Amino acid sequence: MSSSRTRLTVVPTQRILVGRGLALLAALLIVAVTLAAMGRSPITLFGLVMHSTVGSRFGLEDLALFMTPLMLTGAAVWVGIRVNLWNIGAEGQFYAGATAATAVGLFTGLPPALAIPAMIVAGMAAGMAWIFVPAVARAWLGVSEIVTTLLLNFVASLLVYYLATGPWADRVTGALASTERLHVILPDIWGVVHWGFPLAVFTVVVLGVLLARSRFGYETAIAGANPEAARYAGISVAPRVLAVLLLSGGLAGLAGMVEVAGTVHRLQGGIANNYGYLGIVVALLARGSCLSLIPAALLMAFILDTGIVLQTTQISASAVLAITGLLVLAIAVGDELAAYARVKKTS
Amino acid sequence: MDEHERSEGAPRPLNLAPGTPPVLTLSGICKYFPGVIANEDVSLDVFPGQIHALLGENGAGKSTLMNVVTGLYQPDGGEIIVDGYGVTFAAPDAAIAAGIGMVHQHFKLVSRFTVAENLHLGWSETPRRLSARQIEANARTLSEKFGLAIRPEAVVGTLSAGEQQRVEILRVLSRGARLLILDEPTAVLSPVEVGELFIALRRFRDGGGAVIIISHKLDEIMALTDRVSVLRHGRLVGTHLTASTTPALLVAEMIGRPVTLATSYPRGNEVPVTPSPLVLEEVTARDDGGIIRLEGVTLSLRAGEILGVAGVTGNGQPELAEVLTGLRAPDQGSVALDGVAVKQADPAVFARAGVGHVPEDRLRRALAPSLSVAENAVLREYAQAPIGGRFGFSIVRAREFAQLLADKVGVKLPGAMMPIRGLSGGNQQRLVLEREIRIASRVLVASYPSRGLDIGAIAAMREMLAKARDAGVAVVLMSEDLDEIFALSDRVAVLCAGRLMAVIDRCDADRDRIGALMSGRTQAEAA
Amino acid sequence: MSLKKPFFFGRRAALSGAGSFLLTSGVRAATPRFAPVREEDLLVAFGHTSPVTDGGWTHAHDMGIQALKRTYPKLKTLYVESIPYSADATRIFRQFVAEGAQMVISTSNYGDFIRDVADRAPAVAFMECDGHAVSGNLGWYYITHWYASYAIGVAAARLSKTGRLGYVASFPVPSVYAGANATLLGARSVNPEATMRVISINSWFDPQAATEAGSALVDSGCDFLCGIMDDPGYLRVAQDRGVWAAMWNTDMRQFGPDAYVSSVTLDFAKFYIEQVGARIRGDWKPEARFLTLGAGVDRDAWGQRVPEVVRVEADAVRARMLGGWSPFQGPLYDSEGKLRVAEGHVMNDMELYNWNWQLQGVSGLG
Repeated sequence: MSSSRTRLTVVPTQRILVGRGLALLAALLIVAVTLAAMGRSPITLFGLVMHSTVGSRFGLEDLALFMTPLMLTGAAVWVGIRVNLWNIGAEGQFYAGATAATAVGLFTGLPPALAIPAMIVAGMAAGMAWIFVPAVARAWLGVSEIVTTLLLNFVASLLVYYLATGPWADRVTGALASTERLHVILPDIWGVVHWGFPLAVFTVVVLGVLLARSRFGYETAIAGANPEAARYAGISVAPRVLAVLLLSGGLAGLAGMVEVAGTVHRLQGGIANNYGYLGIVVALLARGSCLSLIPAALLMAFILDTGIVLQTTQISASAVLAITGLLVLAIAVGDELAAYARVKKTS
Repeated sequence: MDEHERSEGAPRPLNLAPGTPPVLTLSGICKYFPGVIANEDVSLDVFPGQIHALLGENGAGKSTLMNVVTGLYQPDGGEIIVDGYGVTFAAPDAAIAAGIGMVHQHFKLVSRFTVAENLHLGWSETPRRLSARQIEANARTLSEKFGLAIRPEAVVGTLSAGEQQRVEILRVLSRGARLLILDEPTAVLSPVEVGELFIALRRFRDGGGAVIIISHKLDEIMALTDRVSVLRHGRLVGTHLTASTTPALLVAEMIGRPVTLATSYPRGNEVPVTPSPLVLEEVTARDDGGIIRLEGVTLSLRAGEILGVAGVTGNGQPELAEVLTGLRAPDQGSVALDGVAVKQADPAVFARAGVGHVPEDRLRRALAPSLSVAENAVLREYAQAPIGGRFGFSIVRAREFAQLLADKVGVKLPGAMMPIRGLSGGNQQRLVLEREIRIASRVLVASYPSRGLDIGAIAAMREMLAKARDAGVAVVLMSEDLDEIFALSDRVAVLCAGRLMAVIDRCDADRDRIGALMSGRTQAEAA
Repeated sequence: MSLKKPFFFGRRAALSGAGSFLLTSGVRAATPRFAPVREEDLLVAFGHTSPVTDGGWTHAHDMGIQALKRTYPKLKTLYVESIPYSADATRIFRQFVAEGAQMVISTSNYGDFIRDVADRAPAVAFMECDGHAVSGNLGWYYITHWYASYAIGVAAARLSKTGRLGYVASFPVPSVYAGANATLLGARSVNPEATMRVISINSWFDPQAATEAGSALVDSGCDFLCGIMDDPGYLRVAQDRGVWAAMWNTDMRQFGPDAYVSSVTLDFAKFYIEQVGARIRGDWKPEARFLTLGAGVDRDAWGQRVPEVVRVEADAVRARMLGGWSPFQGPLYDSEGKLRVAEGHVMNDMELYNWNWQLQGVSGLG
């Protein structure tokens, strides 16, 4: 017989991990050959990348700093995908959350003990507000959330540019491109790593537990998997669509708050740094499991950090982007190949 | 296995010229999926000029075997011999080239294309320059050649299931198929369409073609086929000449024990006299497209009684079931649940009041196919202890619940966390039925519950409905099978074109009268 | 100018008053000693805002780096180009430190993003172009381009027949205010009636918009175009329409030989050689440094059609400025007619660096 492979409907995690591992190795091999062809030593570069990421305290700090927003935007997209809703607007909600947190941090004059919780609440509320109209349109009118959330990203981005260069522009210190430094910031706990990191890990864990153990989690799972069956079972789909999208927006808003209050400390254009879009990749890497968002964010952080390291070796930013894309593609291919199993021949 | 052994009980057809090999010989075919034996050591011959039935329970391996024959799967062992020569089908097109064509249960047509366009899709003989007129003329020629009436210019999406099936068969035959495989072809057809299909198949057979037909319906097998092979648990149990076997023998072979469907289910107790749990008064309802599907239906259910709803498919049955279960609000008229008028369509209210519902399309309506058996099993009771409450939900308890449900109806679960789409249709149906019976303390609406079930499962399903009736539930049974309706019902309601033609006591109903009502004659005319 | 990004990413992010510099410099008291280091052991890292091939701002810095490497052939250097004005900038500067750079030079204004890194790496010397803060290990530098602009302005008034000058600007930021104001001030020194109209195109590099802006300015009666652009767009307009043009960054005369007057040219070679030399010797100090006329910034050699008499007059003014004379003295009025610089006050370079109001006679900057 010419072939004896079958496609598995349910792919065990172990197969996925092996598939991804092999795919990453293959991608790294391609990169190594290309680098060698460019006259660079892949081994030296590999050593440098390893040292600057997982091999030094400095590298680990940077990984944690990258992971912090990625875990949260990843969670934001993930809660949507879990029920078949695609929030492509995490970038916009990230901006909204960062903006609201900045407003609290700059203009309320609250003491830190009050200001930080207020910034968290404001950031999440702003993320929810930013997705509210698309969520309502999706829940009751059936308007595709993909388009509406995506379009609002551009609005949010331009709004932040306007605020950071116009009414909120810094007049006290030299930086024109951003607002004043926040009066209250998330304290550092380990080098440059701030409280946002444990907050993000905590959020992901709590989210995973809550969705698995709550009636809300069950009802939304049904509503997402088959809205007709949900209606049949007496579960109203529209309010749950709204609730899930608001949760998604709130998480992305929290990511924005954490980034502005913990890492950047000023609101400025481009602060979202594509974390909203990268959240889609993180969520897809995590597949069905919420806790997998953490290793998925770590992998993405590693790829991004590798990009930074490679740039300092005079490899151009566009080549780095190409390598990043190759790695993500390899993972997608690995997942797909992992679904094909060889069937034992018995005769 | 030599040929003699294989053909035991089913010798070569006498009219076949000596030395003519079978169109298809399977020799020791094996096919395994991880953890599952789909087929093992299956050997059979299919001769030209014969209609060959493949019979077996749900999950007996019939579809897998046919997917091996048509090149969709590669066998893990054994040999496929076509016209006396061993072959390997790397892909379906290789099987088609060898003259083997299959018509699947779910048609593989492009619904926005016309019939003629579908016939010419992916066909090597399609002219390079297409003109609508030319391919329609081609289609008409084909239609005449094979005796299958079609309308070449019609868009496939607007056709009935029977017409679509004819297009599909014509498509396969036009590719030069000498062996036609049909997977449960009559499941979607009206009785008239079944007759037309049989005429076409006989004509094809008489022209020297070979047919393999997969079916659960024994009467059809007896009426149509020349020989029949029975599969059980992936193995071939036997091949017989249809003329020299009986339905009872076939069932015994298929199930492993004799099973007969009872023709009546006598009640174990008196019908309690209680107020009607559900009353429809002059109900008119539209479908999602706004077309009126039910008109002026007045119906009062009785506790402890089975109401059979007879009618040709598509005469308002889905809408009636939806109104009865709160999924659809009537346009006009009123619905009273336990004497209280229901204003809005709210399935949750009906479910809480004890209305269970086994919908027609289980995978689409009653289940979330991608979710686990456990999550699907608790769809009706997830908010109650011990599975859940106001806020909580326990997947562990849900798993236990699913196991309980499966044990009760004799479904073997590989694991409660596997996606429910991995279960066979019959097992899905059993689980849904048990799930619904559990909550149906007042009313149970069962739409076509025997669809896709094998005879053993049908027998079990009917027992469950009768038991629910005995427990005082008002059961509504919709079925296309009049025997089923007569066997179970206390009263028979007949739907035609959205109108309730009559509600007759079982003792006053006979086949002719119901048939007349189904075709739209009034009760006076029918009587 | 070389910035291909909107100005909020840009190095010219400097609106604020001069006070901040003094404020922050006082905070960091103890200046650490930077021990001498051998040339072959020194790694200097450069962070650029655009590609080194941009033909403008970053290219000018890269020329300086090439000269630096010729002077110190054993010196190790590395650079990253196109660094976004975001937290990624922090990561890249941190990576410089992690890779062992003892000196980090940012050729654009990264503000907090470089400051955060500098604060955590006190043994590394940091320099930021167009920066505003000085700390124990962070200094900044900038070019006093306004003197070159003034000299070109003198020539502009002599060459213009209408007395109307046009300015193609990017954004209303201090570099643009200083450039436009200084040019008009130079022009008014010979023609008190001269005026300047500014059009902002919201980009440092957009040839099409620059061309359109140049055409619009000529249409409105301007017969001398200047500006602060990375491309020769409006020089081509001047060539086609038969008017004059002065440029920025580099010598662009090939794109409009008849219209070309001069350019504000940049040269960082001497400064980089001096800074790295100081770091090698161990006497590098964090400080705020202006690269002055003739020592980092100058007017380019005059264009082929600029009459001798004009060259001589403008160069004489340039010579006076080289000698220490400043034309930027009161009374100076803004476009609203308000007295901004009192009689007798001479604007120092810090004030000029932070110039954020338009001079009387300038319109369009708001």
